[in-house]
Amino acid sequence: MNLPLLLTLLLGGLAALDATPVAQTMLAQPLVTGTLLAAIWGDWRVALETAIVLQLLAASTVPIGARTPADYATGGVVGVGTAVALAAGRPFSFTQDACAMLGVMSGLIAALLGSAVLRWQRRLNEGLARWCESRLRAGEPRALGEAHRAAVVLAFALGVGFSAACLGVAIAGLDRFAGGESLRLARAWRLAQPLWLGFGLAQILHLFVQRRLSRVAVFGAALIAAWLVLVVGSP
Amino acid sequence: MASVSRSDLRRVAARTWLLQATWNYERQQGLGWAWCLAPVLERLYADPGRRQQRLAEHTAFFNTQPTLASLALGAVANLEEQQARAAEPAYDGVARVKMVLGSALAALGDRLLWFTLRPFAACLGVLFALGGSWTGALALWVCYNAVHLTLRARGVAWGYRLGPAVLGQGLRERLERLISLLSEFGAALVGVVVAALLVPGGEPQSLTFQVTLAGGLALGLVAAQHARPSPTHLALGAGGLCLVAAWFR
Repeated sequence: MNLPLLLTLLLGGLAALDATPVAQTMLAQPLVTGTLLAAIWGDWRVALETAIVLQLLAASTVPIGARTPADYATGGVVGVGTAVALAAGRPFSFTQDACAMLGVMSGLIAALLGSAVLRWQRRLNEGLARWCESRLRAGEPRALGEAHRAAVVLAFALGVGFSAACLGVAIAGLDRFAGGESLRLARAWRLAQPLWLGFGLAQILHLFVQRRLSRVAVFGAALIAAWLVLVVGSP
Repeated sequence: MASVSRSDLRRVAARTWLLQATWNYERQQGLGWAWCLAPVLERLYADPGRRQQRLAEHTAFFNTQPTLASLALGAVANLEEQQARAAEPAYDGVARVKMVLGSALAALGDRLLWFTLRPFAACLGVLFALGGSWTGALALWVCYNAVHLTLRARGVAWGYRLGPAVLGQGLRERLERLISLLSEFGAALVGVVVAALLVPGGEPQSLTFQVTLAGGLALGLVAAQHARPSPTHLALGAGGLCLVAAWFR
């Protein structure tokens, strides 16, 4: 197995850990994992274009209460990983756009499927919690540490395993498709990229505005001011 | 009677990293909560039987926003210390305070960390990354963790010092102000990101790009009013439609 792919799978495991079980430092966010994958694979353009789209779609997906939202930790690694792996050895701009399109689609599908994997993992943790409590009541305080070690190992293993399965299917299944249909895929990317960017930004704007007109005005003023600065140049 | 030391509180703070390691639908953060509090219970209860009893009771259902859980852990450590000293400990009171603090911190923490700071950090990161730079990821990570890691590291000590009153008017008002400030700046930041997408480097994008971006914004604002279908399903559907459109054009 080649080194970049191995590091991608390792990153899949680390992202699965950071997303919920350990620390929650946002290392699992698609922009962070995407940037790390860009450095690993040496393809900044495709990795960042794919990561930015997935990041904006992920930003408003929140793990509140007992909800198990779409798993963008794995989705980000799978999406960007697929895009850069398919783009390797394809230097033309339109083939790279095609790979980014397939990367985002793979990432979204992996995020949705990953939600089911997370639910299964959490069901397994229920058994672990019951076992742990019974051992604690039986006078074995070490059970608490053992349960935590087991849960961390399980989360990492599932992260690596699920990333490997998704990347394997996506790369093997889409490699010829990316090469053979790159013109159509690139055309689809030119439509889908701004649509996804706008969609993600609107979801974020909705979180900030919360039906307050003053914040809509702030958004509008900032948009016009930034547009003028970019077009005319700063005063 | 032993009292909780600074090093115990530091150990609790370090263990909060694994608060959600065993998250499950039945007890949610219950087991993680007991794991975090274990150093304090070890200090307070010399009798192994009583200590294990308290530890087992702390594995009961609990859930809150994971970053602000540090404050609740500190406050409950303070209460456990009081109860360990009491002639007739009232452990039901500890459980009640734990639940009330959990709910209150979840309400505030979800708004601060999930609904405001995380999207704000994401927007900031995207703005930097649009130029093709690695600094976007760094900006996102630093922006979020400046608040997240500070609360994680210091929250336990704050909670311990203030006890159940940790979420009194002072801290609540400060966090509410922070939410309001971040929301105002966040709305402005989204405006700047949209402008940067429309005219990257001063050169306007194609009309197709601008119209499709506006279409995405409109679709996103409509979708945000409804819980279902989820944004991810909608994004996947939109991507599928773009593929179909590109195929048959």
